[in-house]
Amino acid sequence: MELDDLKGLINQKLIEGSLDKTEHNFANLLKGKANSVVSKIKKSLWFEIACSFLVVLLFLGIAFSSSYHSLKIYFGLFGAVFIPFTYILFYLLKKVNEFEHSVLPIKGNLQQLIKMLEDFTRRYFQFNMALLPICFLLAFYLGLNEKEPVAILDNLSIKLKVTKSLYIGFIIGYSIALIVSLVYFTKWYIRKLYGKYIEQLKSLLAELKEE
Amino acid sequence: MQAADKTFIQLLNQHQKIIHKVCNLYLNWQEDKEDLFQEITLQAWKAYGQFRGDAKFSTWLYRVALNTAITFFRKDKKKDFIESVADLPENIDFAERDSIEEKTQAMYKAIASLSKIDKAIVMLYLEDYSYAEISEIIGITANNIAVKMNRIKVKLREATLKNFERI
Repeated sequence: MELDDLKGLINQKLIEGSLDKTEHNFANLLKGKANSVVSKIKKSLWFEIACSFLVVLLFLGIAFSSSYHSLKIYFGLFGAVFIPFTYILFYLLKKVNEFEHSVLPIKGNLQQLIKMLEDFTRRYFQFNMALLPICFLLAFYLGLNEKEPVAILDNLSIKLKVTKSLYIGFIIGYSIALIVSLVYFTKWYIRKLYGKYIEQLKSLLAELKEE
Repeated sequence: MQAADKTFIQLLNQHQKIIHKVCNLYLNWQEDKEDLFQEITLQAWKAYGQFRGDAKFSTWLYRVALNTAITFFRKDKKKDFIESVADLPENIDFAERDSIEEKTQAMYKAIASLSKIDKAIVMLYLEDYSYAEISEIIGITANNIAVKMNRIKVKLREATLKNFERI
């Protein structure tokens, strides 16, 4: 029972039950939306570009309009950091578009797709992690050096009836717990989105190693 | 509709068997096959601008279709690819006890149990592509394709015999 003996019959079986599509059917199919992982990445990138634009506008708006010196620096810096991030997102989008319009051999296609997904997830993680120290350390530094007292925060320590050092200790502990949670959450989230898919693609690529 | 669109649709219409074959080989459920068919059509449309005509349209379409099918994953495990011999294609009729038909069914089951990459190689082999042509589509050397094809043939022979005994 050899494959060569049954070539014709297997070929026949492969098209059994398939209904022929008309040119009209094909024209309609072209109006549909793609659901590939590349399309999903494109949607994610467009969503993040839109969010980044809004963040830049909003944060710079706060920076220029706030009367607090600390808020000006905090939101101004965040707004500025998002500008290169938006550029990186556009660069990734350009790469994804180029990939989408090319037809590579299967091995090359897998290599490109894995590289693109790994670049995307790596940048996403790096950017999120880069924001954490800015977010927490800068907030502490600016908060402690704020010339004008922030009434809500000052009243909070009085209401809780704790000493200032205990209060600071609590905030530091809370921040560390939050940072660690955010690191693990971001890792989990990225893995949930693309991790398993990347592993599957890598195992396919491993099959194509030259022997 | 522009002239390029019309030409593309006509070409796709003439070569649609390729897409049907890839969908039937890689997926089990009709609904999923329809999704993959659309995905391949859209992917081919997006890449059509790069089609220079230096290769045959059928070869180019095989490359697009196989790339799309290989990287197409379903979240729902129950609806995933034909991964085991228990997942039989819908069009197999076991009532008919014809020897050739049974052999074909057993071989078809064996092919369905192959990995995605091996399926792609078998599909191109069934279309009588040479090892050199298959190597261009897959992206590995012709020698490597020959080695892989020999192993696949052995695997298929063993699996087909097992499947045939069960029928």
